[in-house]
Amino acid sequence: MGDSEGNFLVARGLRKSFGDLQAVSDVSFEIAEREIFGLLGPNGAGKTTTIRILSTVLPPDGGEVTIGGHSIAAEQRRVREMIGVCPQELALYPELSAIDNLVFFGRMAGLGGSEARRRAADVLEVVDLTARGRGRVQNFSGGMKRRINIAIALMAKPRLLFLDEPTVGIDPQSRNHILETVLGLRDEGMTVLFTTHYMDVADRLCDRIAVMDEGRLIAMGSPDELKAGIGDPATVTLEEVFLGLTGRSLRD
Amino acid sequence: MSGLIRPLQLGLFELRRYLADRAALAFGIALPIALFALMYATFSGGDSFNGTVHVVDSDAGPVTADILSRLGETEGLSIEILDRDDAVAKLDRSEILSVAVFPSGFSRLAAAGERPTVMVMRRGSGGQEGQIATSLVRATAQQVTAEHVARSIVRKALEGGTVTDAQVDATVSRMLAMNAAEPPVGVERRILGGSDEFVDRMLPGILVMFLLFAVILASQSTIEDRRIGTLERLATTQLTLSQLFAGKFLAGLFRAGFQVLVLLSLAFAVLQVAGPGQYLQVLVFALLVSAAVSAIGLAIGALAVNQEQAIWASVVISMFMAVFGGTFFPTSQGALEILSRFTLNRYAIDAMDGMISGGESLVNQGPEAAVMAGFTVVGITIARVFFRTTPG
Repeated sequence: MGDSEGNFLVARGLRKSFGDLQAVSDVSFEIAEREIFGLLGPNGAGKTTTIRILSTVLPPDGGEVTIGGHSIAAEQRRVREMIGVCPQELALYPELSAIDNLVFFGRMAGLGGSEARRRAADVLEVVDLTARGRGRVQNFSGGMKRRINIAIALMAKPRLLFLDEPTVGIDPQSRNHILETVLGLRDEGMTVLFTTHYMDVADRLCDRIAVMDEGRLIAMGSPDELKAGIGDPATVTLEEVFLGLTGRSLRD
Repeated sequence: MSGLIRPLQLGLFELRRYLADRAALAFGIALPIALFALMYATFSGGDSFNGTVHVVDSDAGPVTADILSRLGETEGLSIEILDRDDAVAKLDRSEILSVAVFPSGFSRLAAAGERPTVMVMRRGSGGQEGQIATSLVRATAQQVTAEHVARSIVRKALEGGTVTDAQVDATVSRMLAMNAAEPPVGVERRILGGSDEFVDRMLPGILVMFLLFAVILASQSTIEDRRIGTLERLATTQLTLSQLFAGKFLAGLFRAGFQVLVLLSLAFAVLQVAGPGQYLQVLVFALLVSAAVSAIGLAIGALAVNQEQAIWASVVISMFMAVFGGTFFPTSQGALEILSRFTLNRYAIDAMDGMISGGESLVNQGPEAAVMAGFTVVGITIARVFFRTTPG
């Protein structure tokens, strides 16, 4: 389904600017099928803009992207059938129940009514919220909302899952549950693009990591390859690698 | 056709969200009902005097009973019967300012063709209400007593003849009925300055004003959906951007349409302002207004960067249109009339008022319908150009 080298996603020379701000500048990378690919970077590095381009929300100013062999520019509808997007924000309707949210987004993703309801039950099980399906989302804890946010992205059985900061602001138990879920999805054949500020999460989860700063990719490799760049992988942490690459000055 | 199904689903889903929001329902449905009831109670009532006549009936005879019965038929007038001591005590305490006393023997004197006297006790001038009430009592007592005296005189004149008392009563009663059906003196009203149609315009005025307030909801909804990422998420589904946009427009239309359906149905059912045919025609026109309102809200939501901008723009626009469109006071002259031309309300109120109280039909509302269509087209065009799914 991907290219001849088994890559499910191929991005070449991506560019995007907003006025004078170059948000994404000549970004190229590939993600193999069933790979968990981490996109790391300080605030404003261009991670979210990159995900928006890859998920067909924003058109790039330049460059090409294929997902599953289909161009995101020419075959948008086909690409959208293969992707699921979990944005950084809790993109759900808090006044409605978890099931209502899931069924609605499932319908918009092209599922029929009964199919959407069946699928909602399945994904609730995946995120371990079957018992709370009829509860209003506004009454959920932060961790539960994050899990529903992911569950919505799974409704259309995507082959490529975009997770933009899926573990931000939640307790260690919820974070661990989400990581276990992502690993389980990969084992079932899903490809995952993941952004996070938690270096331990990236280290544990990602097969490969790309580090972005100021719109550019400045390093890419497996966690051990990146660590080896500055020392012994057994003693160096990914955070040290990250700070070494992006500097210690504060970013807004 | 299949391209319309998802926007329709999105619109209906948004309506469901609206129905789940109690605060929005209170603002959009309960508040206009309360406001209309308040304004209707304050400004309606026509030409009739609303007040209470306090009466002491020491006579308890048939003529007094007739007078009280006739007074009771007077629109807006209520009668409170007191005993004499109670009336005096209430006058002393200024709880009432005047009382009409029918003395014992009042009916007997009237039946005998003599001149009975009704006594008015009052505190000071009796107050404006007391003076008007006294005038009504005097006029009614004179009329009823005159009828009884007339009967008495006719009976006496015909005494010993072949005409019976019953025939006299029947003839006098028939004459009185004819007089009541076609009063000898007609009254023609001419309005010089101002308008007595204002109350008639309240229903469409308040309806359109609250429909316009839906602009706030529509613009906020777009901004909020963009902020929390639901628009972005929807943009990654099978919805095209045009379908997503159409869905948001339909959402505003359905919300305003629901308001229209509830408020108009209630108004027509309770106030019985017009028949079912007029109801349907007003409903159709109000849905055109709903479309215009949805388009304006969507345009503001597309142009505004944040909630504050959206709310301010919505409030300023909707209040300008409500105030200068003739919701609270007539705007048919001078500078107000010129300003009103730039409001959606003026045309919407004119059309609905024409159908509700002017007996006009929907086909007579071509220019007003064109204005609604114009607002809709301009709003949709602006909104579509600036519509985006991500913040910034």
